[in-house]
Amino acid sequence: MTSIVLAGVGGQGIITLGKILGEAAILEGKKSLMTEIHGMAQRGGRISVDLRIGDYQSAIIPIGSADAILGFELMETARNTVKLKKDGIIVANKRMIHPMPLIMKAQEYPERESEEIISRYNHYYVNADEIAMSLGEKRSVNMVMLGALFGVGILEISEESLKKTISASFRNPRVSEINIKAFEAGVAAVNQEKVL
Amino acid sequence: MKSSELLEQSERAHFLLGNEAVVRGLYEAGVSVTATYPGTPSSEIGDLLYETHRDLGIYFEYSVNEKVAFEVAASASSLGKRAFVFMKHVGLNVAMDSFVSLGVSGVKGGFVILSADDPSLYSSQNEQDNRYLGKFAKYIVMEPSNPQELKDFVVKGFDISEATGQPVLIRSVTRVSHMRSVVKYGPVRNEINNSSKPDRKNTVLLPENSFRLQPQIFDRLKKVVEQGFSRNFINIEGEGEDLIITSGSAYNSIKEALEISGLKAKVMKIGISYPLDVEYIYNQIKHHNRIILIEEGGPFIEEQIYSIIAGKGIRKEVFGKITGDVPYNYEMNVDRVKGILAKIYGIPDKTEVVNIDLPSRPPEFCPGCPHRATYYAAKIALRQKGWKDYISPTDIGCYTLGYYDPYGFGDMLLSMGSSIGTSNGYSIFYGKKVITFIGDSTFFHAGIPPIINAVHNNHPMIVVILDNSTTAMTGGQPTPENMGNIVKIEDILKSIGVKNIHKTDPYDLKMTVETFKRAMDEEGVSVIISERECALEADRKKSKDEFKIFQVNQDKCKLCYNCVRNFTCAAFYIKDKRVYIDPELCDGCSVCSEPLVCPFGAIEVVK
Ligand code: SF4
Ligand code: SF4
Repeated sequence: MTSIVLAGVGGQGIITLGKILGEAAILEGKKSLMTEIHGMAQRGGRISVDLRIGDYQSAIIPIGSADAILGFELMETARNTVKLKKDGIIVANKRMIHPMPLIMKAQEYPERESEEIISRYNHYYVNADEIAMSLGEKRSVNMVMLGALFGVGILEISEESLKKTISASFRNPRVSEINIKAFEAGVAAVNQEKVL
Repeated sequence: MKSSELLEQSERAHFLLGNEAVVRGLYEAGVSVTATYPGTPSSEIGDLLYETHRDLGIYFEYSVNEKVAFEVAASASSLGKRAFVFMKHVGLNVAMDSFVSLGVSGVKGGFVILSADDPSLYSSQNEQDNRYLGKFAKYIVMEPSNPQELKDFVVKGFDISEATGQPVLIRSVTRVSHMRSVVKYGPVRNEINNSSKPDRKNTVLLPENSFRLQPQIFDRLKKVVEQGFSRNFINIEGEGEDLIITSGSAYNSIKEALEISGLKAKVMKIGISYPLDVEYIYNQIKHHNRIILIEEGGPFIEEQIYSIIAGKGIRKEVFGKITGDVPYNYEMNVDRVKGILAKIYGIPDKTEVVNIDLPSRPPEFCPGCPHRATYYAAKIALRQKGWKDYISPTDIGCYTLGYYDPYGFGDMLLSMGSSIGTSNGYSIFYGKKVITFIGDSTFFHAGIPPIINAVHNNHPMIVVILDNSTTAMTGGQPTPENMGNIVKIEDILKSIGVKNIHKTDPYDLKMTVETFKRAMDEEGVSVIISERECALEADRKKSKDEFKIFQVNQDKCKLCYNCVRNFTCAAFYIKDKRVYIDPELCDGCSVCSEPLVCPFGAIEVVK
């Protein structure tokens, strides 16, 4: 049984990632539940999705019990640590998206504060946006992140099932191929972090 | 989701959103007619039906409002067809008049209405519990707990409706409609495309007919219990001395909360919460001294349980909302249920909450959103004209966000269309001219009668119609202005007799400011149609080379911060006190490069 919080802002492909992860679990005969706690249609709105694989009934993850946070945006990653258990894992993208109250007051982003909160837990940083950009498809950020999550080894789902689901999720074979590459690059990036 | 996935006949498990499961349910039930007005959290049902209804062989329409949608479905049912209408909870208030009448008429073809309630108010103005409206109008009330049940209840709801002749209300909530989980498909029933004339003695509610029908309503409801439907939708699990009675989404949290707390109890989940099978429930509760009621919304089942206890003359210790043990508000989750149980059982609630102090991220206008530009221009015009204590009622849509700083518009909001409605009153009682904001879809939905009232009774006001030619907040559904036979707002206004009709493009700030100022000098009703497509919709149509990006030229920037403080595009950010534009977020709308935002011409196009 695994509970994962996916956190970030609108437009980062978080819901698609959740769907792929859930479908891969189902492919292996597991149950899976997913729900958006915050999920505005607008771009830039806060998104957090609870995803649970295994025999759960409640889609909402209780406080302090998530096994992992897959964070697409620095501050949102830090914010969602309330849901993480003490020995949980964070996989964090370094992306920073400034919220309106800060912009309006001409204030800086709380980068250090966010990093400090993240550093209290077992964590890995991934430059998912850069990696996706280098593959020529910036929208593949989510698959880089999925690869990274797989790379840290907390998913009880095989690489094969994940790749199969990724391929099936994109109609265009070229896009599908890039997304598989993005997944692999995510795995590699996290493995490199592990060595460091 | 593709049609082919919905049409699949295999036993394969699908990972479906509750709202997607509903559509599969409609297909399995052989439903003929569906209609809606979009509203979160039910909108994805419409999105999917819009895409797939032809392949599914189902009629679907986006009606102009919930009342019309309801009537489209009700008419189909009176002909003997299976009909389905769905909406968010407050949408049912709009359909209320006809909704109540159909409970009196009864139905011929199965009739199911789905109300998506919103405990915790993720996207609504209230937390109303529509089970009460169902009971009020004598509908059979069903409460699914997850996507599988949503689908199954839709299918069974039609059978029950036809078996009893009474309409069914399925009460979903955000957490069920927006939950994705494993759904197994069932067999598909062939569409029965009946078409016989309505039984006019039942469908024309003249006092004479309605008088005769009143007792029949209760006869039909009785069948729900007599035919065993109420009982068949009760699940009992677990063992324990105490009994927890629950329903819908609240049910999902109970097992885990009991486990974490190390407690045991019998759990009774109620699927049809009106009408209840009194005898069956009595036979269950009589074995328990302590009964705990955990449901979302009001004490709907709880009150009925009290009636059973009182009616049977038994004594029970009941814990629920009425006793103050269970809160009335917000959605349930494992943490909350655990807290409730801890209090009842007098055990410690061990949840440790780490306090995280980070700036909030409230919803905001997208980069490139035309609403931001309209509000910004309105503020400039008001300042230049020296209008200070103006009143600005607002309405429901993305543009409601204009309430927040730095724009600060919006003095009253009750419901769809209330902007113009309340302006009718303010224009007389506040004594100053009113400037009111409404979106295009909302205008069609409920803005037309109040503007007729304003012209007719001569209530002066400036009505700003933020026309982005979509229902943006719920994900970009079409409006009468861009689908089917085109209905133009301008034509409606002209025919009503609105004399001062202005059009502006909010991306052109100078023109928009001037337009506002002109309207402020006019007498009577003035309408400004601020016309520019929703940025998200426009992006979908743009080719790669059409995307532009703007940047701050650091040599020209004088750090006046007007752009960030007053215009506040979401793509701006501050680093080391300097202003930048995030190239990933910039939509290229160019508005910030206009002199009314950056007086120093420091914002330039780079691509
Ligand atoms: S408005 Fe222009 S000059 Fe002023 S801070 Fe913004 S970019 Fe710089
Ligand atoms: S051009 Fe300016 S106002 Fe438009 S999206 Fe880009 S930064 Fe925002």
